[in-house]
Parts: sequence; structure tokens; C-alpha cells
Amino acid sequence: MEFLNLILIGTAALLVLRQPERERLAFRLLVVSTLLMVFLFSVATRTGLLPGVNY
Amino acid sequence: MTDSPTTAPDAPQPSAPHNTVFTLVALAVLVLTVIPVGVAVFWLAFARGDSPCVMCWEQRIGMLLISLIGLFVLRFGPKPKYVGMAVLIATWGLFMGVRHTAMHAARDIGQGFSLEIFGAHTYTWALFIYWICAFAMGLLLLMTRPAHLSSGVRTLGGLERFAFGAFIVVVAGNAVQAFVSTGPPPFMGQSDPIRFTFNPKYWHWSLEEWKPAKLGLRGRWAVDKPDLALAVADPAAGPLGVRPPLVVKERRPLTLALDGAPTDLAFDDASGQFLVTTAHGIYLTDGTLTRVTRQTVIDGGYSVDLGRLAGAAFLDKGELIAVGENKSYVVLKPNDKANADSNFRYFLSSRDKFDEVSRSRFTTVRARLLYIMSTAYDVASNSVYTLTVPNNLVKRLVVSRFDRRDLTLSEEFVPTLSLDPALALGKDRSLGEYMITGAAIADGRLFAVSASYGTLLVLDLATHRIVAAYTIPGLARPTGLAIKGSDCYIVSDDGTLTVVPRPAGAAAPASRDSTTR
Repeated sequence: MEFLNLILIGTAALLVLRQPERERLAFRLLVVSTLLMVFLFSVATRTGLLPGVNY
Repeated sequence: MTDSPTTAPDAPQPSAPHNTVFTLVALAVLVLTVIPVGVAVFWLAFARGDSPCVMCWEQRIGMLLISLIGLFVLRFGPKPKYVGMAVLIATWGLFMGVRHTAMHAARDIGQGFSLEIFGAHTYTWALFIYWICAFAMGLLLLMTRPAHLSSGVRTLGGLERFAFGAFIVVVAGNAVQAFVSTGPPPFMGQSDPIRFTFNPKYWHWSLEEWKPAKLGLRGRWAVDKPDLALAVADPAAGPLGVRPPLVVKERRPLTLALDGAPTDLAFDDASGQFLVTTAHGIYLTDGTLTRVTRQTVIDGGYSVDLGRLAGAAFLDKGELIAVGENKSYVVLKPNDKANADSNFRYFLSSRDKFDEVSRSRFTTVRARLLYIMSTAYDVASNSVYTLTVPNNLVKRLVVSRFDRRDLTLSEEFVPTLSLDPALALGKDRSLGEYMITGAAIADGRLFAVSASYGTLLVLDLATHRIVAAYTIPGLARPTGLAIKGSDCYIVSDDGTLTVVPRPAGAAAPASRDSTTR
């Protein structure tokens, strides 16, 4: 899934560089990539979502 | 790299001139892209074989996303939606850094996960880098002027084109590493990744992180406070099955004026006094437990959080110790001339009866993440003992010994059963099921009363083995145990005192009781 996310990020960067008129698409890719990052981190830490320290 | 801007439909303005803000953004993108993320992939991974764990991957991707937003800014100006996304990702990155670092922050010096960079492990740097990102974004926003907001599609300068190029190269490198280390979807990063190699023979793609697991907020730290209501009353249901009963010599309600339910009990043979604790109160009584001779109430919120007092014992030098469920302790010394004004910070009442000698916390290893409900003092080894109680996550009985001189952990063990065939655990049962709420030591043996199963355990401190176990008829919710002469005094949370003979075979010498000075 990290591979997919990096492909999304690279695509967004190329759009910004080469086809700036597609800014909306590039920004959407940025948002999707961000959500995927948050989702994957949450999956990986689902048994203890908060930092494991004293509260 | 070709730079061929066209007019964006929503921002047809002419290109804004290059200026300091955009130069700084380009430099920031370069620094963030090349130093942490570029070095991570081209040096740590490709050259040294390092593989990030799944959390490291997401932290690395978060940094790339902030850099990507920097590229958006270089191209389209600092639109509010870019700034908003950057702030969101930076705050999430800080959270990821704290979450990840917390797993290892309390380990011993030099310990951690995977590689160190300049003396700190990689996940620690992630926390620092996200903090720098947030800091830098604040500075750049301070420098932003209205003209920057109407930049339209900007023509990129040389440094800015270089930032784009570096970003794409680093992303490509990371994509290669991600394909090798984590695989294509639906495979994802791993908790314990194996080292990086270009040899496909050793590539390992995993779906382990997708396996069902119980959702939780605090994981193994979600330990419930001890609760006597969870104690199992039936002695016959205990892990050791039906045990021989002790004869109850006396059972009566305590008539002491306490500020709450008693939480522990100790006896001092030298002075003939009992020590009774409540959640925050400390009481010295006469030898019959009928009259309070001295008392105070601890301010448990001052400095060290003592929590609810759960254990107490007389120490040497005329001092006594009270220990909270969280293994924080306070050492007091009775003093008829105590200065009430000086003691204002320590005590909520009777500030002229005791002096506080020290207040700190016991540190444990095996007993870590376990609460305690009992404390005992052994004069022979000059040590303080605590015993853990089971909780919602773990059922483990751990005995911890702290040297009296520095109150530092000196021994820790999980008791086992003696070889006596009469003592045997039921199938799939454990000594950890006992909820030890009172303890006292005499003749090298630790007597421990369990609120669960109303049982008195006898532990040989030399062999670390349970050598005997008895049921105490009618005992409900005991919270403290003291040894006075040849008797065990047990107090319950409803204020009932139960006296039973100290079990045969463990008689005290004529003049000493190890709970005494």
C-alpha cells in the first residue's frame, strides 16, 4: 500500500510540474494520499491508537 | 527538467516575481526531501540495507506530503487550502512521532528499534522533523504577503525546478524501496521488516497488518485500577482448589474513627502499635486496635501522585512506609514536635504529628504495568516487599523486593509451588489469579492474604516457593494483614477484623516479628 501511495504522490508532483492546469486533480491526489497515510498508520496501531505511555 | 506552465483556469494572473518567500519554500522542500527522506532511501536502505517499519513508512510519506505541498505553493502560491493541508499533516506527523517514540522512549540507554542517526533512533528524528516543519510553516506564513496569494501559475526558477527534480527522484527511490520491502497492494508495511535487498529471493511481502485485531486506545497500558468487587469469594474455586481451613479465633468490627475503608494493616512488635491505612489516611493505634493514637491524612496530590494507599509497613529507624496502588510511596516518621506550618504541603490534617521523610516511586521490571495492594517489611533483609494483583489484561503474581537503604528494586520473582504433592494447581490455573491485598513477613516467610478465594498463602522467601495455602472461613474482601505474635490479624474493607492463628510450621521466634523494627 505504501508503494501505491508513493505512486499517487509522484503523479501529483508530475501534474503540478507538467500540467498545472490540472491542479484540482493533483490536489485531490494529495488529499487521497494523506487519507491513505492516516488510514494505514491507524491500521498499524489499531490495538493501541494512543501513544503508549502514562496518562 | 522541462518547465512549461500554462494558465490555470482559476488563476489566470501573470506569474509573480521570484522572491524570498518562494526561495525559502524551495529550500525547505529540498531540505525536507533530501535530508530525512532521501538519506533514508539512498543511504540507509540502498547502501546499508535498512528497512522502515510500517509506522516509519507512514511518517516518511507524511514528510513527502509536506514537501509536495511546498511544490504546490511554488507553482500556485500559498493558497489557504495548501496551508491547511500542511498544518493537518504536520500535526498528524507530530502525533505519529509521539505514538512511535512512546513505544521505545522508556527503554534503557541506547536501546531502541533499528538504526540510530547522530545518537537518536530514526523514529525520534521523525518527531523532531515534524516539529521543525510546523515551526518553519509558521515562519513562512509570517513572511507571506497578499501579493503571494494571487500568484497564479508561477514560472519556476532554477532552484524551484531543482526542488521538483529532487522530489521526484526521491519519491521514485522510495517507490522502488516500497515495492521491494512492502510489495504492491494489498500488501503493506510490516512491524518487524527484514533488511532491504535488491535480491528478489529475500523479498517478503506481508498481509499481517490486515489481520483482525481488537481495537484499543492504550493497548497494554489500558490497565484497570484494582477493584475488590472483582474478587472471587468462593475459596473452593481457587487455583489450588479446596485448602485446609484456619480456625477463626476472633472476628469483630473495628471501632476506629477512620476517614474511609481500611486499605492495609501492619504491626510493630517493638512499640506494640498497629498501623492502619485508608485511601489517604495513616493511623497508628494501640495494640488492641481500639484507639487511634496518632493520625494524619496525606496530600496525595502534592508532587508524587500517591494514588490510593494500598500497602503499609513499619520500617527501621522508627519510620513507616505507605505505598499507593501505583507503587508510589511516602515514608513518614512520627514526631510530637512536627512543625505544622512546614508540613502544610504534605498533610491535609494533623500536620504536627508526623514528618515526611521521603516521597517517591518504586521502579519495577516484572511488576511493571501491574498494580499492587500490599506491602511488607522484612527486618532480616532490611527490605520492603510488594506483591502484584491481577488486572483486566494480565494475571501475574510478582514479588518485588526493594532495599530499604535506597528503596530501589533489588530482587523480583514469580513464585512457584513447592514440591509438596498436596499443593497443585488446577488445570489451566495460575497463582496469578490470587489477588494479594495484605502481606507480612516472619521467619523468612511471607504471609499473603488474597481477596480472591479468601486464601492465606505462605511463601518461602529463600526458595521463592509457595509452601502452604489455607482458606479462612467467612473472610470477605480482606485488605490488610499483620502478624502479632502467633496470630494473623486481617482487616477487611468493611472494617471487620479477623484473627486467625499463624499457620503451624511457620511459628515466630520468641521475640521477633519481621514486621517489626
